[in-house]
Amino acid sequence: MALSVSEVLPVAAPRTRRQIWSIGGGKGGIGKSLLAASVGWQLARMGRRVVLVDADLGGANLHTCLGLPAPPRTLADFIQRRASSIEEVLTDTPAGGLRLISGAADLLSAANIKHLQKVRVMKQVRALDVDVVLIDLGAGTSYNILDFFLLSDVSILAVVPEPTSIENGYRFIKSALYRRLRAAAPTDGIRQLVESALDPKNPYGIRTPLDLLARVDAEDPEAGRALRREVAAFQPRFVVNEVRDVADVAIGHQLVAACGRHLGLRASYAGFVHHDDAVWQAVRRRRLFMSDAPTSRAAEEIRQLTRGLVKGESLGSGY
Amino acid sequence: MDPATDPPPNGPPIPGGEPSPGGRDDLYAVLGLEPRASREQVERAYRFSLELYREGSLATYSLLDPTEAEQQRLRVREAYEVLGDEERRRAYDEGQGFLPPDAPVLPFPAPSSAASVAELPAVLTGADLRKIREARGLSLRHIAAVTKIGVRFLEYLEEDRFAFLPAPVYLRGFLQEYARLVGIDPRRAADAYMSRLPAKS
Repeated sequence: MALSVSEVLPVAAPRTRRQIWSIGGGKGGIGKSLLAASVGWQLARMGRRVVLVDADLGGANLHTCLGLPAPPRTLADFIQRRASSIEEVLTDTPAGGLRLISGAADLLSAANIKHLQKVRVMKQVRALDVDVVLIDLGAGTSYNILDFFLLSDVSILAVVPEPTSIENGYRFIKSALYRRLRAAAPTDGIRQLVESALDPKNPYGIRTPLDLLARVDAEDPEAGRALRREVAAFQPRFVVNEVRDVADVAIGHQLVAACGRHLGLRASYAGFVHHDDAVWQAVRRRRLFMSDAPTSRAAEEIRQLTRGLVKGESLGSGY
Repeated sequence: MDPATDPPPNGPPIPGGEPSPGGRDDLYAVLGLEPRASREQVERAYRFSLELYREGSLATYSLLDPTEAEQQRLRVREAYEVLGDEERRRAYDEGQGFLPPDAPVLPFPAPSSAASVAELPAVLTGADLRKIREARGLSLRHIAAVTKIGVRFLEYLEEDRFAFLPAPVYLRGFLQEYARLVGIDPRRAADAYMSRLPAKS
């Protein structure tokens, strides 16, 4: 095997491949944008060149999280071709190395972006000359949101320790996984089976991805193996936001265990962030707590979380 | 944009978490453990599982209906009754062919065990490797820890995902290390596995 130039010549610092990270959650109001802003901020502090993409259709507000006025140009300008390249809609932030693409308010809602537009956005996002593109996906489980989640190198799922958020988190995971399986289905028959699994009252009694795989195995073992590989490659990383006590922290471990034992999924627990007044005091001043209250507990936890995500580490098994 | 043709690598391998999700249904799996788990791990996993399936548990109430949750609690207690009792656990491990938790992991196990050096077939698939490894009661994580090969790569090995495997020169090294650990002839195992690789274009 021939050695590549970079293996032979001394290089200053090995540039890691550009990565796309996305943060989804299925539900609004769980601090997802703040999480994206602060993780992006921390990545930049760690020397990464980062572009934050605000794809929150509920309300684009990443700029506010970062203490910026509404940027003059947004992703909408690019989509509607008022800007010819995505570089033109980049906004600098006070943190060196961190730039922002402000959201079109309805970027990812299925009705408002056509497939070709989505491909164009994705292509240009992928071509950005940065280390990490971090996408704040916003709430919901529309196809566009799921697709961005699925094609990310690091797929982060944010929840808060509340029933509605956890329910939505599971719904998000199942929707994303089934979308992935649907795309990987080798035959029409298997694709229909995957689609029917989305209906909780499907005639096959399929309730979980494990049920679905068993059913596919019975019909077409080859397809079963193909789908199992897709399931194995789907590895969402949980972040539990707004924890208040040890029991809340433990929920992340329980989610990972439940995903493994009852959905057959290899999820992991990337980290947690405590509910912290310093965060909200900073929000009211329209400042990011990472710079406004760097010694706060939440800021320290974001630093830990980000380091773990960079290294691909997660919190142990909880027992 | 198409996850079918372009599966995202999804970042580096993730340590921790549940072992082989959905893959086994032995008593260890009920508690989210690997065979050979220590006594202390069994205790902790038991308490964790009780909490996971307790009534009204945030993490499971929307996945399992009350009857299923009750069934899970029952399975957890049954698993613990065996695995938490030294005598019963030993008998269970023997019946399942699991190595006891205190058994040393030998580089070459006794020739009497399954798939001894002499019986190694000319062609080895990833599934064969997995079978041999599981018969030894070794987890991928253990192999990863000893060989410093990422769990992800080991999984690709066992899943025959050739496209994701490294160049042959590295692959051979990985296979030999793997083989050494599970106690089969390293050179022959590497040959037998690599005989199936698609010809180089």
